Amino acid sequence: MTGRLPACVIDNGTGYTKLGYAGNNEPHFIIPSAIAVRERPGGSRIGQCGEDLDFFIGDEAFNAKGYSVKYPIRHGIVEDWDLMEKYWEHCLFKYLRCDPEDHHFLLTEPPLNTPENREYTAEIMFELFNVPGLYIALQATLALYASWIASDVKNMLTGLVVDSGDGVTHVVPVADGYLIGSSIKHVPISGRDITYFVQTLLREREPNIPPEQSLETAKTIKERYCYVCPDIAKEFAKFDEDPRKNYLQYTGINAVTKKPFNVDIGHERFLGPEIFFHPEFANPEFNTSLSKLIDDIIQDCPVDVRRKLYGNIVLSGGSTMFKGFDKRLKRDVQRLVDGRLRESEELSKHKPEPIDVKVVAHAMQRYAVWFGGSLAASTPNFYEVCHTRKEYEEKGPSICRYNAVFNLV
Amino acid sequence: MILLEVHNRIIEELLTVQIETFLRKEKLVEVKTDVVDFDGAMYHVTSSRDKPFIVSIKLKFYRDLEQYGTDDVLRREYGDLLVTPLEGYNVTLSLDFNTQLPKGDTNEVWLPLVRKIAMLKRNCFAAVFEKYFEFQSKQETKTETHKRAVIHYRDDETMYVDASSDRVIVIFSTVFKDPDDNIIGRVFMEEFKERRRQFQQAPQVIVSYRTPPEELKDMPDARTGDNIGYLTFVLFPRHTKVAERDNTINLIHTLRNYFHYHIKCCKAYLHAHMRHKTNEFLKRLQLARPEVKKSFRRIGNNAGDAPAATE
Repeated sequence: MTGRLPACVIDNGTGYTKLGYAGNNEPHFIIPSAIAVRERPGGSRIGQCGEDLDFFIGDEAFNAKGYSVKYPIRHGIVEDWDLMEKYWEHCLFKYLRCDPEDHHFLLTEPPLNTPENREYTAEIMFELFNVPGLYIALQATLALYASWIASDVKNMLTGLVVDSGDGVTHVVPVADGYLIGSSIKHVPISGRDITYFVQTLLREREPNIPPEQSLETAKTIKERYCYVCPDIAKEFAKFDEDPRKNYLQYTGINAVTKKPFNVDIGHERFLGPEIFFHPEFANPEFNTSLSKLIDDIIQDCPVDVRRKLYGNIVLSGGSTMFKGFDKRLKRDVQRLVDGRLRESEELSKHKPEPIDVKVVAHAMQRYAVWFGGSLAASTPNFYEVCHTRKEYEEKGPSICRYNAVFNLV
Repeated sequence: MILLEVHNRIIEELLTVQIETFLRKEKLVEVKTDVVDFDGAMYHVTSSRDKPFIVSIKLKFYRDLEQYGTDDVLRREYGDLLVTPLEGYNVTLSLDFNTQLPKGDTNEVWLPLVRKIAMLKRNCFAAVFEKYFEFQSKQETKTETHKRAVIHYRDDETMYVDASSDRVIVIFSTVFKDPDDNIIGRVFMEEFKERRRQFQQAPQVIVSYRTPPEELKDMPDARTGDNIGYLTFVLFPRHTKVAERDNTINLIHTLRNYFHYHIKCCKAYLHAHMRHKTNEFLKRLQLARPEVKKSFRRIGNNAGDAPAATE
């Protein structure tokens, strides 16, 4: 790869966009997928020449006065292409500072993205930015690539990806790099719900927190102190036995008065992430725990991949970063599986081969998708599977409907 | 954003975060990353707890620049920060937070330094311009002392800088890879020329396509071709005087990328227009559609009233 500039990896998520150059371990920027544009009277988008450059993206979008903030991506899927085009413009020229004509691009797409959207992306990338090559990768597959740094099974493209971000949690089964589309499930429990839940717990007990800062405080507490416990009843007992040891203090600073305030952190440390396993705590309409859901999904998949899926449950996204999350998930799923095997043994009087459940957790979990993309785009194979400009000019955007899965090694 | 930023955002942010953690006396995270900038510039950034923050830059055309005294400019700008370049890189800066960070309570003390480091690429470029601006102001006209500077800033694109007694001429050659870009680029270049009439203080711009301008007659390796454009800027003393110099350099060294950025923006603008028009047409078509639903109900009520369905 000498003489070739590294590829750009852009992971456009609903809440945050991760962008950076391939070959690095962390994305260079993690910015909100928000764009601030000037609202024109009458709702028309088309302004005078020059007005189309008057916009901000990312964190700057929130600070801009007199602009309205929009999110071009909904549920992982691009909805507003005008804004998305502008968003990319700034991503490339202001943030990454690259000439798109010199770099190959790896973009990501959510599960169940439409082929038309892929074509549209290709059109923008090839015709507007004149990129030399483009590859649109599945987020779930990239998360699998990323998990290879931790797991001993290399080159395994079959696995169940639990991707939990700020807005939504997907559970996606992947077989040989391809989705099992019929079995994808969304869980309405994600990082934001945990924050809200912690916030309600705190609101009832801690009067010291200034109300306008309560969300922010809850978020910090969630990120710094929350963990997943093996058993809540026991954990409660442990906290009651010796509150001094388990209660923590958090000191925040009031944004208005600049005076510090103290908050005790107690049960919410383990109750917050517990809503993954007992969603009814936070959402009365949904009561299937994550482990039960995972088990259901795998049972839903074709029989020949089930065992492999159980053996490779991969975590990705910031909300799976809680300490003990992987152990708890493994134990719960294993329990369900063992229970079923025992049942079948009783019925058939035949001892089935035990199933080993494995949950892969690794250091790159938070930006697993981006990191997987960075790994993928820095291999020579990437340039072989990329759709090239020449191909595009020959056949048109439909080439991007299919993106061949490739093995990294 | 009309003008591109001159500094590198990635480096600025990395360094700011590192310094902030350092000042809070928290543990520094290990950083090791490769960053790319316009014109194929590659940065390599490392930082860890006990080692200084190191930025190295690699420019393909550094050898072209070197002849014009980049070393002096860099030494003037960075002083002690400049260290022996890392292998494979052209310039390396090293900042030790313990000793080399300006002391002070507010972040305003060290922010200028951060910005300066993030402008490493610009400062590499600056030498050429400064040297020729200097030639011009000292009235060292075309003699044996200097000849035209040729910087191959990209594989197929070149920049020429030349000085005479009353002006400095900067010529860019640029290639349009896409036929659409070619057309938009031409319109854009013409616009440079047109706009100048409104702003008397702006430098004179000469545009030529396909063939190099008169000034480059003696350069046999200047490329010709359908998709090649040449932009010539004639900078007068009012642009090259010391007070304006930095601004001129900032603007002119990002010109090529500025130009291509705007071609892309133009296209995005056209796309937005096209989408808007398509939506309008679709709305019209929607209106023209016969309302099938209504007539259905009528058929349901009265089966004999079939012709009403075609209304």
